[in-house]
Amino acid sequence: MPESILSVEHLKKHFPTKQGLVRAIDDITFSVAPGDTLGLVGESGSGKTTTAQCVVGMYPPTSGEIRFKEEQIGTAFKRRPKYVKGDLRIVFQDPGSSLNPKRTIKQILSIPLKVHHIGTQHDRLARMKELLNMVELPADEYLYKYPQAIGGGEKQMVALARALATNPSFVLLDEPTSALDVSVQGKIINLLIRLQRELNLTYLFITHDLSLMRNVSSRVAIMYLGKLCEIAPTVEFFERPIHPYTKMLLSSIPVVSDAEEALKPRKAISKGEIPSPVNIPPGCSFHSRCLARNGRCAEDDPAMVEVAEGHFVRCHAALESELSGHGPA
Amino acid sequence: MRQERKADFLASLAQRRRTLAKGWYKYSRNPLSVLGLVVLVLIGLAAALAPHITPYPAQAGAYTDFQNAGKPPSFEHFFGTDRIGRDVFTRVVFGYRFSLLLGIVVLGLGVAPGVVLGLIAGYHRGTWVEAVIMRTTDVFLAVPPLVLALAITAMLTPNLLNEMFAIALLWWPWYCRLVFAVSSSLRSQFFVREAELSGASEAHILFREMLPNCLAPILTKMTLDMGIVILLGASLSFIGLGAQPPTPCLGTMVADGAKRLPGEWWGTIFPALAIVIVILAFNLVGDGLRDVFAVEEV
Amino acid sequence: MALLEAKDLHVGYRTFEGYLHVLNGVKIEVDEGERVGLVGETGCGKTTTVKTILRVLPMPPAQVQGGEILYRGEDVLRMSTHAVRDLRRREITAIFQDPLQALNPMFTVGTQLRDILKDSKAGRDGGRLTKRDIEKRCIVALQETGMPDPERIMTNYPSQLSGGMRQRVCIAEALSREARLLLADEPTTNLDVTIQDQILRKLDELVDEKGTSVLMITHSMGVVRDLTQRLYVMYAGSMVETARTKELLACPRHPYTQGLMKSVPRLTGEGISEGIPGRIPNYLEPPSGCRFHPRCEHVMPVCKEAIPPFYAVDEDHFAACYLYRS
Repeated sequence: MPESILSVEHLKKHFPTKQGLVRAIDDITFSVAPGDTLGLVGESGSGKTTTAQCVVGMYPPTSGEIRFKEEQIGTAFKRRPKYVKGDLRIVFQDPGSSLNPKRTIKQILSIPLKVHHIGTQHDRLARMKELLNMVELPADEYLYKYPQAIGGGEKQMVALARALATNPSFVLLDEPTSALDVSVQGKIINLLIRLQRELNLTYLFITHDLSLMRNVSSRVAIMYLGKLCEIAPTVEFFERPIHPYTKMLLSSIPVVSDAEEALKPRKAISKGEIPSPVNIPPGCSFHSRCLARNGRCAEDDPAMVEVAEGHFVRCHAALESELSGHGPA
Repeated sequence: MRQERKADFLASLAQRRRTLAKGWYKYSRNPLSVLGLVVLVLIGLAAALAPHITPYPAQAGAYTDFQNAGKPPSFEHFFGTDRIGRDVFTRVVFGYRFSLLLGIVVLGLGVAPGVVLGLIAGYHRGTWVEAVIMRTTDVFLAVPPLVLALAITAMLTPNLLNEMFAIALLWWPWYCRLVFAVSSSLRSQFFVREAELSGASEAHILFREMLPNCLAPILTKMTLDMGIVILLGASLSFIGLGAQPPTPCLGTMVADGAKRLPGEWWGTIFPALAIVIVILAFNLVGDGLRDVFAVEEV
Repeated sequence: MALLEAKDLHVGYRTFEGYLHVLNGVKIEVDEGERVGLVGETGCGKTTTVKTILRVLPMPPAQVQGGEILYRGEDVLRMSTHAVRDLRRREITAIFQDPLQALNPMFTVGTQLRDILKDSKAGRDGGRLTKRDIEKRCIVALQETGMPDPERIMTNYPSQLSGGMRQRVCIAEALSREARLLLADEPTTNLDVTIQDQILRKLDELVDEKGTSVLMITHSMGVVRDLTQRLYVMYAGSMVETARTKELLACPRHPYTQGLMKSVPRLTGEGISEGIPGRIPNYLEPPSGCRFHPRCEHVMPVCKEAIPPFYAVDEDHFAACYLYRS
């Protein structure tokens, strides 16, 4: 394993509710190398957002470890060292709710600067302008506006500027473009890629959009009902998807060209609904919707196995047919 | 550097001015709200300048002139005179002084603690902090307001100050509950989360992030409540537990005049009408404010 | 004659900032049995268009300034309120993005479905349906949308169903009254891809079977590709391009559509382009002539002068752009 900036080991997060115990995250392990972009993909209820929230400290994990640059951060948020709060930042999905509607952009950007004691009062004005320029917004025009007065994409750029205010090395992107139009998404994605290069950032990119991941991330991880199904380097992942759920996801993506249509697995037609997270099926949690299931699937939960370099899969059927040389149906 | 700061200041100012202009546009869409505001401004001015604009300022308090007692409305006495010869118009204008003062002081005393407690409870939703604050609030809300006010004023000496104190004590739980409702939903908004995650203090989160978003319902409720407080004050005075004669108080005046109904109707009707008008005006302004703060659709 | 035809529709809003000229000559044609897509980005006037067609746009602040919407040759904008209600009850039906808003949380799915059928006068000779018929048709409608165990679903409240199930109920409601035209406004935007895929396939099957005409409004190019035959692309209140769906997506001609298609992330992984420079215009003072001209790399003097009409660029392929004037 290469040296990693963030590593998550056997992370579990359970929420007790009236209906029963919700296993939002159930034993996941992954790591992110510096300068990399790990795409964490899943549908609603897969636990991808909870994973982000645990990493950033919104909830303490039920068990397991989160290590950030040799610092154990899987504890209560109050015990997290202050520099980590500035070094590990998050950009939320909904730019409408992540910017306070009653405060100007200047006031919004000044919070992290004040909290982390960056610069004197008028250094800060200069720094805020620099941040806005960094995200390609004309500073003099935008500094005094309220969030309602600007478009969704611009709001997300401001949120990004706020995240970068403390010079972080790691940014969690929780569906940063899913509320935006494609042309605006293009702009934000390119901005993210450029900033990653210039500032040497590491991203954990959470999304439900596999086509987007194909173009952004260096590695992709698929999550289903609180567990990881498959992790692989991006190119390998799209060329040789193995887990039946991955195939189902790929085949469900609406695409715009015949070339893409050809890349989708044909036989993996989607069926069934995602089970309620209080009532996760025994064995492999996907077996109730799986087209390749066999007798073992309902009984024991498969373990993660490395099938090629950096390509991990957690599926009985896939492994059996992998050994015998045929892909599963 | 200096220049830059000046530009910074001016730009902030311009933004503020624009926000106000837009608020006024929305407010002025409703002619009734504008009417309410005009009436309120007039009442406010009249109350503030009472000694200078009323015809007989000396007759506001302790004064007797039995020669002119019980005169019907005329050119000399617009609203007539009461049973001891005081000009009713003068006393109504002075009465507004006390009513408005009562409203402002009561809400001033009652709203601030209610809002702060509500914010704290909302931010700590689901913890013992919330439980303590909100259950205390519930206890206060369970007692009928007039009864509690009666009890308090009866216990202390009945005068304007104690009346204010008693009503203020009734008022905070409503604001606490209102702000709690708003702030407990704000708590899960991402801008609050983000401020937490970047390490901002709780005071910053409560007063800089959450409070501005609660202001709209607070202000709207305050204007609507002004009317109710004035009415409650008048009711307490009416039954003799508020300001004591000869203080010119609208409620006391209505009570006094009522003894002489229906003959000398002007002693009751005009102060009563004065109460109705100010309450109506406050309600109209409240409606207008609600429009200003309403979320835009389009 | 087209089933639905919007001609040169102009709609605006009166606000504090001034008058917003939103729809600027919208034209749409939906033929009997045809499935048409309408794609455009946020703020391009898609929703205003749908609301105008259904006559549910709040006026004021909105104002229809000109144009007509013909349904079977009759102008919807000039119909009486009563006639419009009848039209919505029997001819045009809609499904929306958020099924939770379309379903009443206080009544069971069954009650809501029955109410619709009771009102629809879909019985023989335009009469009312009998109780038994209604019950049967409710169950059939739910079954058709691929719902397991429709009898149980009928007794459920909307909050007891998942997002995908709710949207299925909405589709069942919309299709149960045998309407001729279905307006689908972003029906799968809030759903997960695997569920979206199932719903779209089902919808496809059902409208095919019943011969319903569809006007599908969405921002997603991929979603319209499988479901519609013809596509309109909308930008800043007017149509910029129309063609058969697959052709339009494969070979866009209007500079706006071209820019848009380049920013769609592809599974083939060619990277995503920067999108289109600039942003959607301010409707207070929209650009003169072609509203896209300030962002267009091929801008010519004539673009600033007059709104370009549709020019034929290929068989059945029109683009509102002066590049194709000759």
